[in-house]
Formats: sequence, C-alpha cells, structure tokens
Amino acid sequence: MVAMSTRRSRNDIRGLAEPDVEAPKTARIEGDTAVFDAADLSPRQINLELRRLVYGEQIPEVTIENPGAKHSVAVGILTRCRITIDGSVGYFGATLGDGPEIHITGRVGWSVAENMMSGVTVIDKNAGSLTGAAMRGGDLVIRGHVGARTGIDQKGGTIIVGGNAGALTGFMMQRGRQIICGDAGPGMGDSMYDGAIYVGGAVASLGVDCVEAEMTPEDDELIDRKFRIYGMDRPASFRKFVCGKKLWNYDNLEPSERKLVL
Amino acid sequence: MTSPNASPNPHVLGQSSIFNPQVINDIHTKAELGRYRMRGFSMFKPIPHWDQLMFMPGTLTRFVIEGYREKCDTKTVLGARFAQKPLELDIPVYITGMSFGALSLEAKMALAKGASMAGTATCSGEGGMIPPERDLSTKWYYQVIQSRYGFNPHHLMLADAIEFFIGQGCKVGLGGHLMGQKVTEQVAEMRSLPAGIDQRSPARHPDWLGPDDLSLKIQEVREATDYQVPIQLKLGAARVYDDVRMAAKCGPDIIYLDGAEGGTGAGPHLATEETGIPLMAAIPEARRALEDVGLADEIDLVVAGGIRNGGDIAKCIALGAKAVAIGHSSLMALNCNKELPGITDYEGTLGVKAGSCYHCHTGRCPVGITTQDPELRKRLDVEQGAERVYNFLHTLTLEVQMLARACGKTDVHSLEPEDLCALTTEAAAMARVPLAGTNYVPGVTEERTLHEIKTLLEKHVANDGGGSRDV
Ligand SMILES: Cc1cc2nc3c(=O)[nH]c(=O)nc-3n(C[C@H](O)[C@H](O)[C@H](O)COP(=O)(O)O)c2cc1C
Ligand code: SF4
Repeated sequence: MVAMSTRRSRNDIRGLAEPDVEAPKTARIEGDTAVFDAADLSPRQINLELRRLVYGEQIPEVTIENPGAKHSVAVGILTRCRITIDGSVGYFGATLGDGPEIHITGRVGWSVAENMMSGVTVIDKNAGSLTGAAMRGGDLVIRGHVGARTGIDQKGGTIIVGGNAGALTGFMMQRGRQIICGDAGPGMGDSMYDGAIYVGGAVASLGVDCVEAEMTPEDDELIDRKFRIYGMDRPASFRKFVCGKKLWNYDNLEPSERKLVL
Repeated sequence: MTSPNASPNPHVLGQSSIFNPQVINDIHTKAELGRYRMRGFSMFKPIPHWDQLMFMPGTLTRFVIEGYREKCDTKTVLGARFAQKPLELDIPVYITGMSFGALSLEAKMALAKGASMAGTATCSGEGGMIPPERDLSTKWYYQVIQSRYGFNPHHLMLADAIEFFIGQGCKVGLGGHLMGQKVTEQVAEMRSLPAGIDQRSPARHPDWLGPDDLSLKIQEVREATDYQVPIQLKLGAARVYDDVRMAAKCGPDIIYLDGAEGGTGAGPHLATEETGIPLMAAIPEARRALEDVGLADEIDLVVAGGIRNGGDIAKCIALGAKAVAIGHSSLMALNCNKELPGITDYEGTLGVKAGSCYHCHTGRCPVGITTQDPELRKRLDVEQGAERVYNFLHTLTLEVQMLARACGKTDVHSLEPEDLCALTTEAAAMARVPLAGTNYVPGVTEERTLHEIKTLLEKHVANDGGGSRDV
C-alpha cells in the first residue's frame, strides 16, 4: 500500500512497461499439462500465465500457442518443467532460466537463452545474433543457422548449431563448448579466455588469440553423445579451437604490481 | 636580467611546466613497460569541483529552519515509476557498486553492515553476489554489468533494485579491470575465469547493443523480476544531455550519473584523467534532458563521483539529484590512506605516504580493503569498520540537513539551484548558477539577452511594416 501511494504517473514512451497486469487465466488444464493461446496476450500476460501454471498450479508441461514473435517470453523460469512454444519468439526468449526444458518450434530473435543456468533450450529453426550470450550451463540447441556473436561471454554449458554461425562466434567466451556443424564466420573465438569451439564446416577466419587444437577421443565422445540426445546428424569430422592464452596477462608489470609476498 | 636571488643557482633558466619531473618519469616508465599504466583511486588533475560553489542561506529574504529542534526530512524514495516496491532509503546517500574482487570480503561486509545501520543501500558491483553482503544489506542493488561475471537469476530475485552498468565516470567507455594479483581461485571461480589472469572486462553488453535493444533488455529483466523492483541505468557522464534523453526513453525508473571525478579499483591512469565531464556540469544537463522528454517528475536521478562531504551532497541535491552514491570516501571511512601505527608501512610497501596512496589495483592495500591477500585482510575488522561507515554516513546526513535548514528547507530534497552561487565563471557556466554577487549565469544570461534583442527586433520590424525605408 505504501508503494502505491508513492507511485507517480506512468508514461512509458516505448510502451513496453506493463506494471499493472494480472494473469489472464485462460489456459486449458488437463491433468499434468496445460495449453494457452498467446495470440492476444502481451509478453507480461504470457509470463504471468506461464508462472501461474508452473509455480502456482505446479503443472510440469505447458504449451504456448501463437507466441507471435513477442519479446521476453518465458524468462526467469527457475524450476524444472517442460515448456513448448509453438511458433517463433522475438528478442530475449527463454532467458535467465534455471531448470526448464524449453522447445521453440519456430525461429528466435536476439539473445535467446541469455544467461541460462541449466536445463535445455531447443530451437527448431534459425536464431538471431547473441544466441546464448553469457550462458552458464545447460544445453542450447539451434537446429538451423545462428547470427553473429553466438555464445558471447559464454561461461558454461553447450551450444549446438545445426547450420552456420555468423561473425565473432565465441567472442570473449570464458568456459563451455560450442559445436557448430556448418561454417563459422570471420573472427571466430576472438579474445576467448577458455572453453572450446568445434566446427564441422569452414572457418572464415580466427579472431585474436584463438588457435586450433588437437581433437581428442573425449571430444569426439562428447560430440557423439550430444548428437545422440538431440537426434542430429553428425558431420564426418570436426576441428577444435581454443584460447591461445596470449592475452591472459599484461606483458609487463610495474614493481608495485608484482605479487606480494608477505 | 633576472635577479640572482630568485634561484639557488643564478644560471638555471627554469623548468618546463609541461614536461615536469612527473611527466618525464612517466615517459621513462612507459618506455620500459610498453603499455598504459594502471592505478586505482580518483582523478589526479584539478577540474572544476564542488569547492567552487557556495550556498546562499536564508537571512531576511528567506526564513531559516531551527537546527536540532525543527525537522528536516531525509527520507529518499527511488524508482517509484514502475516498481511495485520502490527503494526507500532513510538518507539521501548510499554505497555505490564496488565489486567483490576489487574489495575484500571484509570491506564488502563492513560497508553492507554500516549502510544498513544508517538505513541505506549497497550495491553488488561487478563480480556477482556474495551471500554475507546480501545478508548484511537491508537494501541491496544487484548489478547487471557487461561481463555478467557470476550473474545468477536467483540472486537477481533477491535484489531490492537492479542497476544496469552502462558506464562509469572514471573511465567512460571502458569495461572493468582486475589485475591478476587479485584474481584468486575464489574470485576466478565466481567469475568463471582462469585464476591469475589480468581481467579486462568487456565494454559492451553481450546481449544488447543500442538503446532500442536496451529497452527490450529492461523489459526482459522486469518480466523476470515481476515488476517488483526499480531498474536503474548507470551512465558515465560524457554527452549527458543526449545520453540521458536516450536513457530515459529506454524506460528505466532511475538514472545514475557518474562524474569524471569518480573513483575506480583499477583502471588505466590515462582514462581516469582524460574521460568524462565533471559531475557539476552533468547534473544540470541531465535535468534539462529529463525535462525536455517530459520525464523529470518520473525518473529519479542518482549521482556520484568525488563526493567527500555533506556539502558536496547538498550541492548535488540542489542541482537536481535525488540521491548520491559514494565510493572511495566510504573506503576512507574504512581506513583507506590511513597509517596504522605498528601495522602499516605505506612507504615501505607501496612507495607512497599514507594520504597519497592510489594502489588499489595492486591488491596490496595496506589496510585490507582492496586486497584478496589473507594477511592484509586481517587488518580490517568488520565490526569496527561498519561502525565507522555508519558514523560517516550519519555525519554526511547531518551536514546535508544543516545546510538545508540554513537554506530554509524542512526536507533536504527541497534544496534548489537558487540556493547556490559560484566562485568562478567556469563553475557558474557548468552548474548554471549565478557568479557570486552577480546575476550573471554564463551562457544563460547571453541567451536571454539575445532572445530579448530578437523579440525587440521582431517588434520593430513588425511596426515598420517590413523594414524597407528610404534613407
Ligand atoms: C574499489 C572500487 C571498485 C569499483 N567497482 C565497481 C564495480 O564493480 N561496478 C561499478 O559499476 N562501479 C565500480 N566502481 C565505481 C563506483 O561504483 C563509482 O562509480 C565511483 O566509485 C564513484 O566515485 P567515488 O569513488 O569518487 O565516490 C568501483 C570503484 C571503486 C573505488
Ligand atoms: S589504502 Fe587501500 S583502498 Fe586506499 S588507495 Fe591505498 S590501496 Fe586503495
């Protein structure tokens, strides 16, 4: 009540803020599953309905129909559940999650599965740029192509791309793996700190401090396992790319910057 | 001929003020290092600062408020625009984001406890959440920063407010830095990095590029946090008018402006000296921008950078800030730059006297604040540190109240530009307040006069029916 009394007018120029909305409660619930139509719902209504179902009603399987390429759909889901989005979503789809298995049957915009902690996100068609940005865990599978800077700042987990990847794939990547079946664009692995990028096709060029490494039997075993799980066709061979570790430290230190021995 | 008495050696001509001994030493060092030099702390070169503004309290034209007896409110509510739970602070000052990694665990805990005692907030800073800080903070900002080191949606849900780092005043346009000496196993693990690397964080966010995407990013975080808590955008002060207009259109609840004076735990010396504009110049520009987009009453302005005392804070508020965040001065409350007899030896370990230390980036902080070294950390006692932070925050508040009462205000937020004058034309021009003892506001006065002349001319032309006249 205090909060309400201090609130001022609400003039959002972009029309994106939807503070005073309630869950539409339009889902059809049948046993352990629920389905709702998002055609006439705003992102806020979609998320409120989804949260009502998975948290409030404890329904483990939810299908969202007609997502209409809306932004910020299925974000911040922090519980195990299965979500099917039957269609395409816009920017920031299925982000900030920890646990859910999300299947998107269409395409996705920028920054899908951004900062995912665990769980699985599968996209049947193409994804835009910044796919899996800052991702920390779980599997992110894009059966189609992806745009630029896939797995930028990636901190863990596995990104699998069935098609080609754009420029600067794995830019500043820190940990985790990327498996690109097709070609990778210029500047791949630029300034990566650690982790591994496997490419089945051609690499246009490597970024700063990204180097090729030997494939090991463990690498092949991992790739085989992931492809089995997601029922994907495995290209005949992969090349592996890692950090050259040339940028890890400044070349030189001033006397006061050297490690202190007390 | 110059007088032979002016110099100990009558044959010495003088010395260059451009290539002074410090500049020459710097060139020698860079010639050996082959890279830019790093340091912590604040700006070195003098720039127009709060000392150049003065208050004009009540005398006969204004009624003063009785100190100690009459109330002068300090309560500060931030982010009431869209958030279900705006941030309610007891005082108009809070502790800015300083990362765990740059700061020791003890420093983070002492700041959190001291801030909570004073009824105000702290902020996670870059390296992710450390549970003891969250536990000790009654009001806590969680930072969404470019690197997303340790970023965790579970921690996001624990925040009382969310700050998007877009830039900081000290090194506008650059990402964070943490030298390898401070990237211990623990710090590295929290950030998912190899231990011991010189960490240079990204300057751009991984999942959005321009203001259009930022609007959507804000929407995403609001959706994830169910519109419960305010969203704040932190900008380094540079092209403030345009940046604030753009930021405002992205839909935040609060905008935080960090002046060029702002401190850092580690940054290139050159960037700390050469980027950004003074806070005094930034606040009026930000107000103008918010007014021009019609959001002056909706979006709150938080400011920071080089804040030392209640006078600085009162001046920020008078120019249009709702709250002020402090960094390095809160570290001074924890003993930064203080020689502790029998414990510290600034000159022996860092080569500078206490009072001139800027070595936060080295991880060798003699008083246990900006270090990860277990032995140095023991020099900071959390309980005593928290008490001093509380005392400092309390004093700052008393000082702001004192000035506000003298200016006739029963609420510190009622301070206004009319309460101020400037001691130099530069300060007058930047802060847009009159030069002391005059009505002259550089730029504003001229514009007003030009406008008057234009109006007079227009009237004259209209009266003359077009102005064509035989001579
Ligand atoms: C030790 C230290 C660490 C900092 N770490 C961060 C950080 O992690 N994130 C951030 O946004 N700003 C960081 N800053 C900048 C402060 O948030 C703030 O912008 C600045 O300190 C304000 O200036 P002041 O120190 O003069 O008060 C840091 C500053 C210091 C002194
Ligand atoms: S005393 Fe510590 S916190 Fe203060 S400037 Fe030196 S290293 Fe930084």
